[in-house]
Amino acid sequence: MSIELEGGMTNFPEELERRKRIIAEELKDRTLWFVQLRWWVPPSIVAVTVIAKFLRVEFPTVPLFVVAFLMLAYNVVLYVMGKQITDSPVLDINFIQQYTFWQVGLDYASMFLLIHYTGGAASPLIFFFIFHIIFASILLPPRVAYGFSAISAIGMAIIAGAEYLNIIPHHALYFRGRAINLAEQPFHVMVELAFFTASVFITAFSVTSIMKMLRKRIVDLAELTEKVNDLNNKLQSLYAMVQAIGGALRLEQVLKIVTTELATVMNVKATSVKLLSEDHKTLRYASAFGLPQELVEGKKTIELAKSPLNKRIIEGEPYVTGKVSDRDAFQFGEELAKARIQSVLFVPLIFENKVIGILGAYCEKADRFQKADVEFFQLAGGLIAIALENARAYEEIENLVNERSRFMMRVAHNLRAPLAAMLSILEVVKDGYKGELNDEQKEYLRRVDRRARTMIDLVNELLLLSQSRATNRKPIFEAVDIKFIAGRIERTFQDEARDKGIILKISVPAEPLIIQGNPLGIEQMLENLVSNAIKYTPSGGKVEVSMTQSNSGIKIEVSDTGIGIPKEEKHKLFSEFFRASNAKAIEEIGTGLGLAIVKEIVDQHNGKIMVESEEGLGTIFVIYLPLSQEGNKNENRSEL
Amino acid sequence: MTKKADILLVDDDPDIRDSIKLILEANNYEVRTAPNGKAALEELKKKTPDLMILDIMMNTDTEGFDLAYALKSNPQFQNLPIIILTSFLEKVRAEGPDQFQHILGEEWPAKWLFEKPVDSKKLLAKIEGILGGG
Repeated sequence: MSIELEGGMTNFPEELERRKRIIAEELKDRTLWFVQLRWWVPPSIVAVTVIAKFLRVEFPTVPLFVVAFLMLAYNVVLYVMGKQITDSPVLDINFIQQYTFWQVGLDYASMFLLIHYTGGAASPLIFFFIFHIIFASILLPPRVAYGFSAISAIGMAIIAGAEYLNIIPHHALYFRGRAINLAEQPFHVMVELAFFTASVFITAFSVTSIMKMLRKRIVDLAELTEKVNDLNNKLQSLYAMVQAIGGALRLEQVLKIVTTELATVMNVKATSVKLLSEDHKTLRYASAFGLPQELVEGKKTIELAKSPLNKRIIEGEPYVTGKVSDRDAFQFGEELAKARIQSVLFVPLIFENKVIGILGAYCEKADRFQKADVEFFQLAGGLIAIALENARAYEEIENLVNERSRFMMRVAHNLRAPLAAMLSILEVVKDGYKGELNDEQKEYLRRVDRRARTMIDLVNELLLLSQSRATNRKPIFEAVDIKFIAGRIERTFQDEARDKGIILKISVPAEPLIIQGNPLGIEQMLENLVSNAIKYTPSGGKVEVSMTQSNSGIKIEVSDTGIGIPKEEKHKLFSEFFRASNAKAIEEIGTGLGLAIVKEIVDQHNGKIMVESEEGLGTIFVIYLPLSQEGNKNENRSEL
Repeated sequence: MTKKADILLVDDDPDIRDSIKLILEANNYEVRTAPNGKAALEELKKKTPDLMILDIMMNTDTEGFDLAYALKSNPQFQNLPIIILTSFLEKVRAEGPDQFQHILGEEWPAKWLFEKPVDSKKLLAKIEGILGGG
């Protein structure tokens, strides 16, 4: 490892700020909660006063009610200010602390007044100071808690002293006519005040000590939670990337998802995937998120000679970090600086021990990247390398398939061209353009013609079948009006059926029959089935096509009163080049590919085909085609 | 018929050219032939025919299409009726979106299309229809 990880240790000012915020959040909630609690104090003062009077404890009532009213009044003000704190989007720690001090200050003033009017040092209320001290110990710095303790002790001393010296009047409590008058016994008052002082300080000490420990745990816990969240985000991000890579997406899309995902989860301004050129001298941006457009869309190439950081990665370093302020390290440092990028992290994309590119992260903060970032980034780099290789392999396969497809097309063309020429010439002779022929000559030429045409059909059908099998990719599906196709089939075959003395009946429902599918395929499928039915049905027979719609699909039945299919041969019906023995007996020539093609097309539509047949009676083909391809995994994936 | 209709037959296969030419001539048409797009253009420049029969796959997979489109965009020839005669109708249909995307995405350049081997009676009927019962 050639570079020290800068900022590898905890960043202290930042960390401190974070801890403060965690406490401040809590303080905010509690201090607002105090406002809520305070609503109960004035009614309580009134209630206690009434009860005390009922028990014949006597003290000045009016000042207490005035204090209760004052508390109510300042609590309204505090409540309004509290609303501001809640509504504010930012957490102003100083303001919240001051707000808290004001609350405690006003409460103390009220307390001193209440104590003064309920017997001074002898007032039972003096222990109520404890509440504020506990509160301060928990949520404010320890010195504040001790400060509050000191203020309450000193305040009490002043009240007791002033009352004793008659600087202020003493309001004694009377119980059933007898004064509970501790002021007359200075020693007792001093002892009481000493213990009161001790109590508040001990409270402050114990609570702040416990809180110190708890606070650390709270912060640790919050940190842990944050780390877990961070890890969770990273895991989800990795999962999203794996999904993107596993899905049948184009490489561009995969890289776009990956770069966006990485930038979000790492909380950086930009990410990029750069690929190494064949000559290993330059890099180009394959994808980027958040980088300046002139860099990425300008298709700028990065020359390794001018970019030391990239060069080091290509030469085998596991990662590099860099500061944009170090302009010599970057070829496009100016552009990065303009985009306010300050630090970068590069890791290699490695496949089969070869560096094929670089994954980069860019941040607006200086020295942003730490050990955990590097590790995560290397992991992501591994995934991206796999995606790149997948894409390359896929591209090669696609090329092969296309190559094969083109080859098949050429083969078919070259096989058909001489046949077509032959038939064309044959027609000249057959039709008597070169002199009349006798019947025998005509019959022989008709046979030549028929065999040559079968040969062309064979080439056509083989081509269709090989095309459909060569590409797993389905043809583009569109809305297909099956009724429309039924009409075309009727027109195509009506003459042939009439000539052969067969009734061709096509029945369709009144409503349209629309499914998602390949219209050419569906027409081919029906053509093959109807053509077979007519071919193998003797004169006087009947061929029927009926179509009905159910909730989830369309049912097509093609039935005939033809020769049927021998039971023992039924299982071979859809295999290539199969021809039933009784079919051969009727029509010697046939390709044996028609039903294989039908099956292929039905499969393409995720449909089903069934056949019922009785030799000598007829055959029924039942085809079921689903309305749409939804839920078909392959189809969904290719549309993503 | 006072004047024989003039048909230009473009196909790279000499046997197709000969046989169709023979059939057309026997049916009272004047037939000129061209083995490729370039020769066809030269024939077209000499004299605009009344009708053109055009193969698709010649030197290139789409030579016939290319010629048809070129003619369509030329005001001199845009009304020239073209019958496309190809041994790859099935193929053009099935593979249309891929192999012939640049063609099928646009308006079809010819109104009529026959698959080879062509039934000469149907072809003659079609030509007769197009040329207005000539």
